[in-house]
This record gives sequence, structure tokens and C-alpha cells, in this order.
Amino acid sequence: MRKTFGALSLLFILGILLLIANPNYGLKFGLGGEDWQKYRYTDQYYIDHGIEETGGTNIVTDIVFDYRGYDTLGEATVLFTSIAGAVALLRKWREENEE
Amino acid sequence: MKSDMGLIVKTMARATIPLIGIFGAYVVSHGHLTPGGGFQGGATIAGAGVLFIIAFGVGEAKKRINKSLYSALEGLGGLVFLGVAMLGLSVAFFYNTLWHNGPIFNGKPGTLLSAGYLPIMNLAVGLKVYTGLMSAVFAIALFRRWRK
Repeated sequence: MRKTFGALSLLFILGILLLIANPNYGLKFGLGGEDWQKYRYTDQYYIDHGIEETGGTNIVTDIVFDYRGYDTLGEATVLFTSIAGAVALLRKWREENEE
Repeated sequence: MKSDMGLIVKTMARATIPLIGIFGAYVVSHGHLTPGGGFQGGATIAGAGVLFIIAFGVGEAKKRINKSLYSALEGLGGLVFLGVAMLGLSVAFFYNTLWHNGPIFNGKPGTLLSAGYLPIMNLAVGLKVYTGLMSAVFAIALFRRWRK
């Protein structure tokens, strides 16, 4: 009984959320539609100029390694630091070699 | 305690580990042409390594995997990434000088030897992600909190 009521209320909340988030008549968060296209000119720029400026046909790799290279450098640093921390915390290699 | 799995799992692992490795190498080396790249391909190859550790056991993996070599290769991947980014330092950091006026990797867009430093960076990042994930997983697999 209680489980059924809980599931039904979850479904009800989901329906209300779907009603609120409808792009046609629901709540509007910030710009939308045609206005938004005006501020997203970088997408079209990457698609138009990515191949001649970077040479790769995979636009995602062009952005990740060329246009936003600093971001990838930070990401690689985060990966290095996290793995160094994991290995330093978890290692038992020296003791296992001695036994 | 035995840490490896049965005969069926071992045979299947022997058959599938090379295929997973080849697919990961393809994803890494064609990162500038097709979907995927260094991170994704490196994680795929690391999946093959995890399958090796699970199927054949930690004891067998300890004999095969040289962890100091893996640590060194991870640092090497990061350094190659940084060094290739510094190639175009006369213009700007992360300037793709190999593509604009370099001697190599400046073929037609869409061929394998094109896109300047992108293939080198993909290889470096793939090596770094593969060795890093393998060291982390291996360290977790070797970790024992209790004494036997």
C-alpha cells in the first residue's frame, strides 16, 4: 500500500516536472529559440573553420586538443594527481615483495 | 586462495583481449578522424588489462606487469603532451605549427598523417590514460586491509 502510494506520487511529480519543463508553454530559463542562436556563434565557427585551421576531421578532437588545449592540460594534470594519490595511498608493494 | 577464474573464462579472455586491444589502438590512432580519441581509446585498452587481471588473477598479473615501467610511461605521456604543445611556442602555447608549416603530419585533411600535433597528442594521452588506469586498478587489486 505504502509502496504503491510512493510510486504513484513519484509519477505525479514527474508529470508535473514534464509540464513545467515544456519548452512551448512551460518555464523559460534564460534565452531560448532564436535569441539563443545569436549567442552560440562559436559552434558554427568550429564547424566551418575547424578543418582548415586544425586539420582534423573530428571536430571534438579539434576543440579538445587545439582550441581548448589548456582545459585538456588541466584534465591530464587532474588525472595524474588522482592516480598518484591512489597509488600512494593503496600500495603494499614493498611489503608484498619481502614476504 | 586461488585468485584466477575457471577454464572457460580464461579461454574467452585469451580470445577477446587482443581484439579489445586492437580496437582501442584503432580508436587512439584514428582519434583525429573518427569519433573517439586518446582518453576513450586508453580507457578501452585499460579495460582489456582489467579483464586480464580478473581472469588470470593478481598473482599472474604481478609476474607480467612491471609497475615501475608503467609509472614511468605515465609520466612520459604527460611530458610528451606538454612538449608537443610547446612546439609552437614561437606563436602561442598550443599553436598547431606542425599543421600550418611543419615538415610532417601536414597531409590532406582526412588522411592518417594529417592534423599536425593531434595524432601525437592522441597517442600521448592514450598512453597516459592506459598506464595510469592500469596502475590505479593494479594498486587497488593488490590492496589488502587484513592480514592473512
